Amino acid sequence: MSDRREDDALLIYPEPQRLPESVRSALEGGEEVVALAKTDMRGGDYGEDYVVLTNARLLVVNERLVEALPLDKVKSVSIRGYINTCVLVAEVDGGQRSLAVFTRGRLEVFDRLVAIANNIVIGKVPYQLLKEQLLNRVREEEERRRLSSTRAAILRLLGLLRPIAPVLVATVVVAVAIRVVGLIPPYLMKILVDEVLTKGRADLLLHVILGLLAVNLVNTVLNSLNAYINTRFNVGVTNTLRARVYRKLHELSLTHYDRFGSGGLWSRIVDDVNRVQWFLSVAFVPLFINAAMVAFVGVTLATLNPWLTLVALTPIPVSVTANIIYRKTASRYYHRLWRKWSRIVSVISDTINAAILVKSFGKEEEFTRKFEGYQTEFERAQMDVFKFEQQIWPAVGLAFTVSSLLVWWFGSKDVLQGAMTLGSLMAFTSYMWQFYSPVFGLIENVRNLQLLGVAAGRIFEILDIEPDVREPPDAVHVELTGNVECDNVWFTYDGIHYALKGVTTRIRSGERVGLVGPSGSGKTTLAKLLLHLYDPQVGSVRFDGVDARRIKLSSLKEQVAIVLQNPVLLDTTIAENIAVGKPGATPEEIIAAAKAAKAHDFIMRLPEAYDTEVGMQGSRLSGGERARVALAAALLKDPKILILDEPTAALDALTEDEVTEELERLTRGRTTIIIAHRLSTLRFTDRIIVMENGRIVEEGTHEELLKRDGLYKRLWEAQLKGLMRMGAAEVGGEARGELVAVARAA
Amino acid sequence: MPSLGQLKLLDPSRVRVVDARLDELDVEIDGRLYRGVRPKRPFPFSHPQIVILYSGDEELGILRDYRRLDPKSRELLEQVLRVIYFMPRIRKVLSIRSVEGKYEWRVLTDKGELTFQTWGRCVRVLHDGRLVVRDIYSRAYLVEEPEKLDSRSRLYLSMMI
Repeated sequence: MSDRREDDALLIYPEPQRLPESVRSALEGGEEVVALAKTDMRGGDYGEDYVVLTNARLLVVNERLVEALPLDKVKSVSIRGYINTCVLVAEVDGGQRSLAVFTRGRLEVFDRLVAIANNIVIGKVPYQLLKEQLLNRVREEEERRRLSSTRAAILRLLGLLRPIAPVLVATVVVAVAIRVVGLIPPYLMKILVDEVLTKGRADLLLHVILGLLAVNLVNTVLNSLNAYINTRFNVGVTNTLRARVYRKLHELSLTHYDRFGSGGLWSRIVDDVNRVQWFLSVAFVPLFINAAMVAFVGVTLATLNPWLTLVALTPIPVSVTANIIYRKTASRYYHRLWRKWSRIVSVISDTINAAILVKSFGKEEEFTRKFEGYQTEFERAQMDVFKFEQQIWPAVGLAFTVSSLLVWWFGSKDVLQGAMTLGSLMAFTSYMWQFYSPVFGLIENVRNLQLLGVAAGRIFEILDIEPDVREPPDAVHVELTGNVECDNVWFTYDGIHYALKGVTTRIRSGERVGLVGPSGSGKTTLAKLLLHLYDPQVGSVRFDGVDARRIKLSSLKEQVAIVLQNPVLLDTTIAENIAVGKPGATPEEIIAAAKAAKAHDFIMRLPEAYDTEVGMQGSRLSGGERARVALAAALLKDPKILILDEPTAALDALTEDEVTEELERLTRGRTTIIIAHRLSTLRFTDRIIVMENGRIVEEGTHEELLKRDGLYKRLWEAQLKGLMRMGAAEVGGEARGELVAVARAA
Repeated sequence: MPSLGQLKLLDPSRVRVVDARLDELDVEIDGRLYRGVRPKRPFPFSHPQIVILYSGDEELGILRDYRRLDPKSRELLEQVLRVIYFMPRIRKVLSIRSVEGKYEWRVLTDKGELTFQTWGRCVRVLHDGRLVVRDIYSRAYLVEEPEKLDSRSRLYLSMMI
């Protein structure tokens, strides 16, 4: 039993021949398998069952059909988690039904199966849409897997580096030339010993010395050239790759930013690009150099004395074996050392961070005992590392010493018998040491090539992403009046979980609409579609009757503005952040926008006022201050459609009240969509849309919705109750502000 | 000290398990039948004999020692506990090797030979000296008497503790 990822643990729309016989025979005529997941347990032991989701039923099959639930009888599917195991559960009439058991190793597989099943039974996702999206996802995954193989990644990397190919070739040529030139001095020394010193040919002395001088000069020049070309190469690699990845970042939709996380993208642009550059310089280029050196020096050694060459090769198998053993085993010893050390650090950290607990419970003696015990274990682990190293490297050293002595022994005998000159022997021993290093280098290079493939694969993962929204060549500029229509909009980020399910609504020009609903109900996704950050998979979003897909992206970005819940500011001045949507805005316009957003007063209290640098992501401002700067930026843009995603979430209650009043004034006559959890923010809206699980469940004015006794009323009452409790506990301060706001709205 | 009187302790003689299915039981308590009951151990490692019975979110009561149930009930309950608290016992560590920043263990367990991967920090020492090894999927494997393992297994384990 192994937990290595099994590619067939989840099959999506598998071809019939990939289905096990027992599953095939359990299917009814016309029944299509949507997904098949394999468990790794049966009952209380390891084993295998198949959970099969078809277009009509949910089945559990092993050698025979164990369970068959028609999907129209299933209300939902879920997973119960335990320490090691999980149980797949179906909610049916009459309660829950446990269907299959699997270990946590299969949780990801069954999570996907559950999401797909719930799309059918809860989401009522149209079957064709579900199938199309799932198959798209499967194709994308297969393509990604194909392109991410080490070999494919390295070949593609080289293709990408074609612009700097001459520098790459020059790097290899110069580096090989340096090594080859390095082979000349031992040969000149051979002439010095054999011809000049032994045979007394004084006429050659000057030539040899000049030759050695020339070699040194050439070497110096080549080394400088090498350093220059290397720098060019390294800079070329990083700049070429980083520029490609950076350009790609702007094409990525927000889904991909969410998928990789800011840290993940950062690491691919900075760390992986550096890693590729490093591996190229330590693995790829040296691979050619070492191969060339092994060939050159090997041939030279064999030419000087083939028999001695065989003797010189004897320590190589010993050393290679020792290297392999060391690489396999050393990590265990070092890991143990690290674990022992981290326990010591953890006791010290507990003692300092939980000093009050240690002292108040009188644990000093126990902690000291524990610390001393860990110290002893650490000391023992250190000694084990020492002993382990001593078992390996002295043996390797000894093998080289013995081989070297044997070379001297047999070589000297050859010299004494006249079969070899003294100079040749000296040259041989010198070349011999130059041979060992590239042999070990080659082993290391091959290992690093694997790592190069991994790092390159991570970069291609980004470069291969297709943009979510493509502008057609005949896209048009539209002067918006503010009419927005959503017509049966279905949207999924990952092909499995649907964020919007058949949303249809119409917002008239100048209408102010509130969008409310629990977290994850689809409000923000709908707002993103209105900004045309994504295209819906089904249905359309239309602006003044024109499908968003046909409108130039720049046209929409000029006329639609969004203020985010956690606004992001650029690392520049407040003034430039406000003017971000309207380059060239006058100082008066900037001040007017800031005043409208209630930001002016706090800005003027700052010593550098509008010229204050806000820091990375606006870190020098508070959450409320950032929100107001972002609002000012949106207002300065004077958009035809304004989307406010929780615009007052970061504000205190009294400021929220002020800003809400200001918003009421500023949004008059402008199409405005306000997403809000605090329902009091919506008091001036013309209409409220209530969303739940990706659908619009209610629409109407505040009063109409309260009369309906639906989700809105429940949300409203829950909020009112919470505020009343707060008010009872503290009538004043923030609570008073909230109550004022709610009272006004009510 | 909170009052123990608040605890709903069940008398084992008045509890009868009538059926079991994967992680659920049908249980009769004081003559009343509850279907789809799920047993949970509040102390799965330190006091595994204590079991709390749930019907949905409702706590039906605490069995201080489920082993005192009648043999048939005990057998059915243990059948479900085996599913819920499934945990292979490691008898021998055959090898641990480092693979791309993780550790790949090959072990012999009461369920046969297994291979799994762990992160660096993966072994928890319980108060009674038993070890719990967690793999990258958070699955647990128990080493019941580490000191009785063969010397090679002990050496491997000592490297990870």
